[in-house]
Amino acid sequence: MSGILPLLIGILFLSGILTIILYPIFKQKLGWILSIFPLIIFVFLFSVLNDIDIQTVNIFPSDFKLLPGIDFAFRIDGLSLIFGLMITGIGFLVVLYASWYMKKYKRQAHFFSYLMFFMAAMTGLVFSDNLMVLFIFWELTSVTSFLLIGFDHHLEKSRQAALQSLLITGFGGLCLLFASILIGQIAGTYQISVIIEQGIDLVGNPKYLLVFILVLMAVLTKSAQFPFHFWLPGAMQAPTPVSAYLHSATMVNAGIYLLLRIQPLLGGTLAWKYSLILAGVITMFLGAYFSMGQKDLKRILAFTTISALGTMVLLIGIGTPLSIEASLVFFIVHGLYKGGLFMVAGIIDKSTGTRDISKLSKLWKTLPATTIFAVLALISMAGLPPMLGFVGKELIYVAKIQLPGLSWIILPLGVGANIMMVAISLTIFVEIFYNKSKKPELPAHYSEKQLPWYFILGPGVLALAGLFLGLFPGGLNNLIANALFVTKNQIKDVHLLLWHGFNEVLLLSIFAILLGVLIFILRKPVTHFIRKTIKWFDIYHLPTIFMSVMNFYLRIAGKNTQRIQHGYHRFYLMTFFIVTLAILAFQINWNFSDLVPIGGYTPIRINIVILLIVSSLAVLFAVFSKSRLSAILSMGVVGYGIALLYLFYGAIDLSITQFLAETVVMVLFVMVIYYLPKFAVLSTRKSRVRDIVISLAVGAMVTLVVLHSHVLNMYEPVSKFFADNSFLQAHGRNIVNVILVDFRALDTLGEITVLTLAAAGVYSLFRFTIKKKDTVNE
Amino acid sequence: MNSSSLRNIILEKIVKLFMRVMLIFSIYLLLRGHNYPGGGFIAGIVASTGFIFYAIVYGSEQVQHIIKIKPQTIIGIGLLLALIAGIIPVFLNQEIQTGLWIHGHLPIIGELHLGTPLLFDTGVFLVVVGVILTIIFSIMEVLKWN
Repeated sequence: MSGILPLLIGILFLSGILTIILYPIFKQKLGWILSIFPLIIFVFLFSVLNDIDIQTVNIFPSDFKLLPGIDFAFRIDGLSLIFGLMITGIGFLVVLYASWYMKKYKRQAHFFSYLMFFMAAMTGLVFSDNLMVLFIFWELTSVTSFLLIGFDHHLEKSRQAALQSLLITGFGGLCLLFASILIGQIAGTYQISVIIEQGIDLVGNPKYLLVFILVLMAVLTKSAQFPFHFWLPGAMQAPTPVSAYLHSATMVNAGIYLLLRIQPLLGGTLAWKYSLILAGVITMFLGAYFSMGQKDLKRILAFTTISALGTMVLLIGIGTPLSIEASLVFFIVHGLYKGGLFMVAGIIDKSTGTRDISKLSKLWKTLPATTIFAVLALISMAGLPPMLGFVGKELIYVAKIQLPGLSWIILPLGVGANIMMVAISLTIFVEIFYNKSKKPELPAHYSEKQLPWYFILGPGVLALAGLFLGLFPGGLNNLIANALFVTKNQIKDVHLLLWHGFNEVLLLSIFAILLGVLIFILRKPVTHFIRKTIKWFDIYHLPTIFMSVMNFYLRIAGKNTQRIQHGYHRFYLMTFFIVTLAILAFQINWNFSDLVPIGGYTPIRINIVILLIVSSLAVLFAVFSKSRLSAILSMGVVGYGIALLYLFYGAIDLSITQFLAETVVMVLFVMVIYYLPKFAVLSTRKSRVRDIVISLAVGAMVTLVVLHSHVLNMYEPVSKFFADNSFLQAHGRNIVNVILVDFRALDTLGEITVLTLAAAGVYSLFRFTIKKKDTVNE
Repeated sequence: MNSSSLRNIILEKIVKLFMRVMLIFSIYLLLRGHNYPGGGFIAGIVASTGFIFYAIVYGSEQVQHIIKIKPQTIIGIGLLLALIAGIIPVFLNQEIQTGLWIHGHLPIIGELHLGTPLLFDTGVFLVVVGVILTIIFSIMEVLKWN
């Protein structure tokens, strides 16, 4: 039953293609149809939940191999289920939500196509058991998120944001590729489950540090950790449904997933622990701090996401079973409230036309249900009971307190971040929703009654899920225990509780809440101060620095290209010939007795002698002729001579091709010759001498090499294999053709692609000249 | 050239015939290519020679009119065919670009071997035709040959 998962993921990919066909049929209802696909997978995953014991890990090997060693093996275990359920569940809500949000956008089919591909890639990522396949899906999420972030591509800003995120996550993707290859080379397989089963010691390997750093780069870039965090606030240029999805369950969380998945292979070392803790702590605090200074609701949420991601990375870095448990719970918590809040931001944006919290006010009147859902999500974000957020936060505190050695610095920063969260939640609530604010009311484009129910469904379901799981967190016990077993290889009973009784953790919580309220009351001076520091930070504005580095790189590349690609055909040829000559001269053993075979020549045939004489005369004539036409014709003679030579030695196909190509070239020349400029000798005497020297040297060298190749017989010639197998295996008597279309078909495919590119080049060059002429004529 | 007063009816008729003969000949070359001299590349050049002569006499737009599709599209179709021929084996659980064959016996033709290499060769044929026509037509357009 659970073996149909790969098929379902395949269908999800297919749905991305299907949008092109479905859109003309369903138009505005497209989102409804598409939302069925993630819903099916969600229901399927939900049904699998019951089969999951603490120790079950289902691996589905696959016959489908992309390349040897890269097979699409899938796995279902607690960890992938947690992520998979969030991805498909929130995916379902987001698609429904988007079907109304994107109503007035053009290119809706494109949007849903990208979204479905993104969803499918993300689902594939968390269920694949092969590192290489995981990497492929990882890259797919980068590419599709690039398309989604830059969806409003008529805006300079969103193009830039999309490019930035692609460059950064793409860099991380490359790191992951190298890391995967290294792991594959060390372990001999890319299959994660096999590596764990065979107990291959990656940690003890001398290359461990390199592998770890590469993985770390992949995670830091993908999960928007300091100092790569800046692409995430930029990415909120995307339409809001995309932001909701990107932040809550996908994309940035892929890094978290990778850390958890790879923890049994690479985790537990000092390097792992300290680098993750360091990155996590900085990101956690910085994100929370910066979010306080923002005005745009989406930007506020984006920075809180950064903070939350930092928290998760930090917890994984701590690496105790308890902290892993906390990170898993916090992932669920964060996904639920962040998805909901982003959708609420979108609703507010649609309803009032702004997301600026200094302008918004009293939305309770126009959007009552939305307000309730938003408040539930905000409570979860602040970490207050009775939401799941409280359970998660308590766990985090426990994990941090129990960390030996470092808790003295991590705990205060963590509490600090939490204080900020409380203050932000309160601020958002009071500024935006609360009834008794002094700000003027905004006119609403839509009141809640005018919005369709499925537009508000998303935040509602997510908020209620957070509430339900907060009241009955025991439902997650089994799943988390299984995920813990997968990541830490330890069997540990998990008992999530809302109420732990009075203890030091609760005191910490109360302390954080009180301070949060205090900051909220003092929010004017505090935000003023924070904005000032942000301005100070902006001297080192990372996006700008990043862009200027990129531009610098492009400038250098442009300069170098101009130096190499100067555009003079004669110098290209000269470079090519001289370099070839030099390499050959360096390689050849200059001992003439070895160099050229003394005997073994076939007897001289008179027809070939004549042919050679005629061809040589034609060459000489071409070089010294005073008219272009005669030069071209004599070159044609040379070409036909070569074709005849092929024929004399039995290479019929080659000969025919040469004849035909020569004919076509002749026709071409005759066509254009009338239009060419007057024939003139432009080269100086000096340069002609130089060219003669080069051409004689090259000719001599090629002759030598050809003669020499007769002496060398390093390997058995491959022609024997072709001759033996051409008819038996490839059913063809014409060996040349069999080589072209069967044995070496990939080469041929490459060649015809090159031909195509050449045609495209010629075509566009001529187009360009035609257009230029036309504009001149005008 | 046909727009000018210098019409050469004999040439026009011959070229028409020439093009057809070349086309049939090229298909013959393509089909026999697996066992005897010939093949997609050669056949492609032969076919395009027919078109070129036709274009020289009647103008490239007339050729466009006859073949209906743009040469660039022909290139695309050819590449696609070659690619499909390579990918088909993957769906039958074999490695990419494994040659697959259907063997049969037909009353008149005799032994018949149909396989993905022929599809691939047809792709090569179309690409070559498309490339040559694209280049020639572009040149003719610039030279205002029509």
